[in-house]
Amino acid sequence: MTIEWGWFPDHTGELVRLTADHLATAVPAVLFGLLIALPLAVLAHRVRPLRGFVLGASNILYTIPSLAFFVLLLPVTGLTRTTAITGLTAYTLVVLVRNTVEGLDAVPARVREASRAMGTSPLRTLLTVELPLALPVIMAGVRVATVMSISLVSVASYIGYGGLGQLFTDGFQRNFPTPVIAGVALTLLLALVADAVLVSVQWLCTPWLRGASGPRRPKLRKRA
Amino acid sequence: MLELLKNLAAWLTSSAQWSGPEGIATRVLEHLEYSVLATLAAAVIALPVGLLIGHTGRGAFLAVNLASFGRALPTVGLVTLVFLAGGLSVWPVYVSLVALAVPVIITNTYAGMAAVDPEVKDAAKGVGLRGRQILWQVEIPLALPLIMTGVRLATVQVVATATIAAYVSFGGLGRYVFDGLAQRDLVQVLGGAVLVAVLAVAADLALGGLTRLLFRGRPAAAR
Amino acid sequence: MNRRTVLTTLLAGASAPLLAACSSGITSLKGDGAGGDSGSSSGGLVIGTANFTENQVLGYLYAGVLHAAGVKTTVRPNLGSREIVVPALRSGDIDLLPEYQGSLLLYLDKKATATEAGAMQNALATVLPDGLEVLPYASAEDRDSFAVTRRTADRYGLKTLDDLRKVNGKLVFGAAAEMKKRVVGLVGLKDAYGVEFKEFKALDSSGPLVKGALKKGDIDIGNVFTTDVDTAENGWVLLADPKHLIPAQHIVPLIAARKADGRVRKALARLGNALTTSDLTELNRLVDKEKQDPDRVAAAWLKKHKLG
Repeated sequence: MTIEWGWFPDHTGELVRLTADHLATAVPAVLFGLLIALPLAVLAHRVRPLRGFVLGASNILYTIPSLAFFVLLLPVTGLTRTTAITGLTAYTLVVLVRNTVEGLDAVPARVREASRAMGTSPLRTLLTVELPLALPVIMAGVRVATVMSISLVSVASYIGYGGLGQLFTDGFQRNFPTPVIAGVALTLLLALVADAVLVSVQWLCTPWLRGASGPRRPKLRKRA
Repeated sequence: MLELLKNLAAWLTSSAQWSGPEGIATRVLEHLEYSVLATLAAAVIALPVGLLIGHTGRGAFLAVNLASFGRALPTVGLVTLVFLAGGLSVWPVYVSLVALAVPVIITNTYAGMAAVDPEVKDAAKGVGLRGRQILWQVEIPLALPLIMTGVRLATVQVVATATIAAYVSFGGLGRYVFDGLAQRDLVQVLGGAVLVAVLAVAADLALGGLTRLLFRGRPAAAR
Repeated sequence: MNRRTVLTTLLAGASAPLLAACSSGITSLKGDGAGGDSGSSSGGLVIGTANFTENQVLGYLYAGVLHAAGVKTTVRPNLGSREIVVPALRSGDIDLLPEYQGSLLLYLDKKATATEAGAMQNALATVLPDGLEVLPYASAEDRDSFAVTRRTADRYGLKTLDDLRKVNGKLVFGAAAEMKKRVVGLVGLKDAYGVEFKEFKALDSSGPLVKGALKKGDIDIGNVFTTDVDTAENGWVLLADPKHLIPAQHIVPLIAARKADGRVRKALARLGNALTTSDLTELNRLVDKEKQDPDRVAAAWLKKHKLG
């Protein structure tokens, strides 16, 4: 398998276009995912009996092959980008819902009670105390969901909306590895950059967590 | 919608659909074959690596970030690449499924090992245990819940992704998804998707049961 | 107090770009080249193509010749099989599709009997759903065909599709999954020729899977296009079709009627008159063998023929 290096400079325009296309599918998926996951998670956190149902349902969504999702959406949203975005949105839910619930769970009851005792309404407590405190765990979920979405966009290439994944079907049909390699490399790079951006956003959003060591992973912290 | 569900019920319950070389039974077995072999191969590769990193503490950065890398790796691209490199064979399927499972298992195995309280390890050293003994008698038993979580996560992902085999002409439940797409036969696609989901959930439950079995009589570790 | 203000500001700060991004996401969804029935008059013409090389080349040829005529176009390559793209055309997700007379007719009407180009054009006009139209067909033609290796042909004495009956239940047939349900496929081979295979393998449309499997011997007979240069290169034998199961397959533009104005009709007719079957075969070769891009070979061909 040989790489034709000359192909790259010859196709920068196309690569840029496909990268933009890729993001135009992956980013809205995560944003819509958040928009749906936040209220669901709050509900699951508040109403105990719903918890198992919400978490279970989002878990099951995750076991459905992504391509099947896109195909089943065809009669509803047609052969459009909306189909790709909707399918990916469903996939982000499992991570986003679970992390948000876990984040809210981790907020000490004392803090919530103190806020309520000061006469703050439950909604205000949620928005101004609980969610900000849960932010690190939520953001960890957003990072995972973003990386996953960026990778999964390529599955939509089977319905023509795969962003960089279009390079996979193209290379496949022509027995031509170079575009496939370009697609894989750019997808990885895109995921890496997106993750780095989110880490920075998180760092900016949580000044109270800034220690000397910068942003930390909530779960893998090693005891000294 | 109701129509679709009715047709799905008919599709899933017709005996003709279940038998023969293209029947559901065959496809389920093929799907299991890809999934089980790939997950086992991944475990054989990933468990020693994760344990080693966790035990020695070397390569921790790699272990932590590997899962992210694994998530970022586009399976469709990997399948295509291996197909173009090696031609028509079942290799692309296994390579991409193993590549999907390995990072998850390594990261979770490492996380399990890293979560073992250093004081416990010190105590083990204090009573005279050596490196290997600490690994087998202290670290692994304590890390096992997270290790099993990794294996379960990997299994679910592999089962859901093994549909890709159909893309490179092989069988498994992906056949229904890809053929249903080509024929615009939504019932077939939905049937395939439901079967994959059922298989994934069943595999997850089975592994969950296995984990509980492993921890019977050791409630402290199984927390 | 101080702390609470900080948190509120923070949350507002975090959610503002989020909301902004979301709403822009919604607009981009609507503006996404899909071309709904209303308000897409300025959005240009969306050309969809099926998932094989030639169809993409044709898509870019359409785009080039339309561009030269001053029509704005977008090409959406690799959307899937006819079973996927034609419904997308009906629902307005795309506006124009390079099609093949015979296959399109049989897709719309499984009982169609016309096999000659002129008759098929008439038949198409009557069975097409409202809002869709076929424009005049091109001289270029690409038929589905059924290929066996020279060895298989010699071994079983295969020259025509009729001969396949002699080996009923012995051969493995490979083609795109949709061929299992198509008349030009399993259905027709059984009805017209009484042929039955040992197994049907779902592969692709004259692509790497079918051709790779035929070369390797994983399948005995495969569906390849007559414009595919691999047939000659590998010395495959295309089985003759004495009962005319496979209809004429001239290239024909399938278009949403509301988009078919005079400029579009004229431009596509000029292309149809100029493009020959051997041109098409050569364009396929450049893409598949020389690894040139479909859009570039299309543009070069149009330029050479003073159409683009």
